[in-house]
Amino acid sequence: MIDISNVTKIFKTKNQNITAVDNVGLNVKKGEIFGVIGYSGAGKSTLIRLLNGLEQPTEGTVTVTGDEISGMTMKELRQKRQKVSMIFQHFNLLWSRTVAENISFPLEIAGVPKKERQLRVSELIRLVGLEGRENNYPSELSGGQKQRVGIARALSNEPQVLLCDEATSALDPETTDEVLDLLVDITKKMNLTIVLITHEMHVIRKICDRAAVMENGKVVEVGPVIELFQNPQSNVTKRFVKDDISDDDHAVAMEEIKEAFPTSTIVKLTFVGTRTKSPIVSQVIRNYGLDVNILSGNIKQTNQESYGHLYIALDINQETLEQITAEFKKHDVTLEVESK
Amino acid sequence: MNEFLTAFKEMFAFENVKWDAVLEATYETIYMTVIATALAFLIGLILGIILFLSNKSHNGVSKPVYGATSFIVNLFRAIPFIILIILIMPFTKAIMGTVMGSNGALPALIIGAAPFFARLVEIGLKEIDKGVIEAAESMGANTWTIIWKVLIPESLPALISGITVTSIMLVGSTAIAGVIGAGGLGNLAYMVGFTRNQPDVTLVATVVILIIVFIIQIIGDTLSKAVDKR
Repeated sequence: MIDISNVTKIFKTKNQNITAVDNVGLNVKKGEIFGVIGYSGAGKSTLIRLLNGLEQPTEGTVTVTGDEISGMTMKELRQKRQKVSMIFQHFNLLWSRTVAENISFPLEIAGVPKKERQLRVSELIRLVGLEGRENNYPSELSGGQKQRVGIARALSNEPQVLLCDEATSALDPETTDEVLDLLVDITKKMNLTIVLITHEMHVIRKICDRAAVMENGKVVEVGPVIELFQNPQSNVTKRFVKDDISDDDHAVAMEEIKEAFPTSTIVKLTFVGTRTKSPIVSQVIRNYGLDVNILSGNIKQTNQESYGHLYIALDINQETLEQITAEFKKHDVTLEVESK
Repeated sequence: MNEFLTAFKEMFAFENVKWDAVLEATYETIYMTVIATALAFLIGLILGIILFLSNKSHNGVSKPVYGATSFIVNLFRAIPFIILIILIMPFTKAIMGTVMGSNGALPALIIGAAPFFARLVEIGLKEIDKGVIEAAESMGANTWTIIWKVLIPESLPALISGITVTSIMLVGSTAIAGVIGAGGLGNLAYMVGFTRNQPDVTLVATVVILIIVFIIQIIGDTLSKAVDKR
């Protein structure tokens, strides 16, 4: 679907050459939501712009749905861009156009007749849930609504690939989730492939199937999202994962917990890509007739699996402890004893 | 003090004012201003867009284009208007057939105003959010579409205030041109008011020019506000 092989992008300025993308190779499969995460300056913005030819690689090739972007004429490229559309951090809507006119813009570029444009626009407005807002100007909309217009506009020519350039970074957490849900929804409906760049790990966690981690222009790690969370290899990835789970609170609180439950055994349950939907913890507790104090927990859902930690205190003997440890292990939950 | 009072009285007596001459001069001033504004808008817009586009991209062609356009614009902006009129007289004669009257003033008015407006256009275009232009590019828009559907609409309030300022400047320029025979209110104020020592005529010409300027400003402000949906 998308193939980036040995791509390097160097920006030449008067005084120095800046290597924004350094020998990157990536593969995105059809129908996938692929994330690229990195801190600012990691080269992800440049990388995503290579996919629609807004930037041309200094070395290497970029192939999107069978066409080599890096070898196209301007005319071919403009044609191609109608099928590889893009949404932006700051929405980049035309303030001089209403919602409907903004969505219609790519159709005008593609030369779609007016009647058809109107039909398509009203379909898209329904799709992104902006009914009744057709004739508003962008200045009259909230950030989330603006991004919905951006998404509708990007979808108007029925693209195969949608590029998201920090599409949720300017939105508050709640609106971010709404927009992400919309993206997942349209990916399924329209059979899209999405490449998104972000600096927020929770965006990756929430909707991506696979992700690449970038640092200093290089891809330092790539793989299924759950693997990045379970087993981060590089320091950057570890930092992103840590920021997302933010485990620090537990360490601080543990001393106090031990004091509060002097007779109990405190155990940490770790969920690593636990796929089962059944209520494991409560099943185990019931089966062994245990009493449990839930102390603290941090369990997150990726788009398929859950992972995180749960700290519980229970009164338990060694034998039962071993039994439930085995029981949990069957369900991909590891049990560690924190204190007795 | 008495001399001053007499002059003051004479000024407001309007004894020397021939109102049909004022009307004709007003018509000439408006004629020159409107035609020159329209053409300065067109030429300035084209030059401004060339300046903006050639400064934006960094390929081998755009640099010399920007250099040349920028040089021409700066050159004509630097020449004082009164000298410009005299300087381009042969050119004016060749294309208008005369150097006298309102039509004789038009080439100098346009050449004087267009580069000024071109810079205002360039400034207006630079104010457009780069992201919006990038978005249009990412949709596959060609340069022509970007000019028509992004650059002009998105900078329209700035273009309107720019042409308002240019147009008011042109009213002033028509008055200067009037002194050397272009007709209009400037001609009236100089030829009649000054040389025949009829200050009431000068006063009337001034008031009419002020009214024209105010009307242009009001129209400009209203339009600029009306198209601004930001």
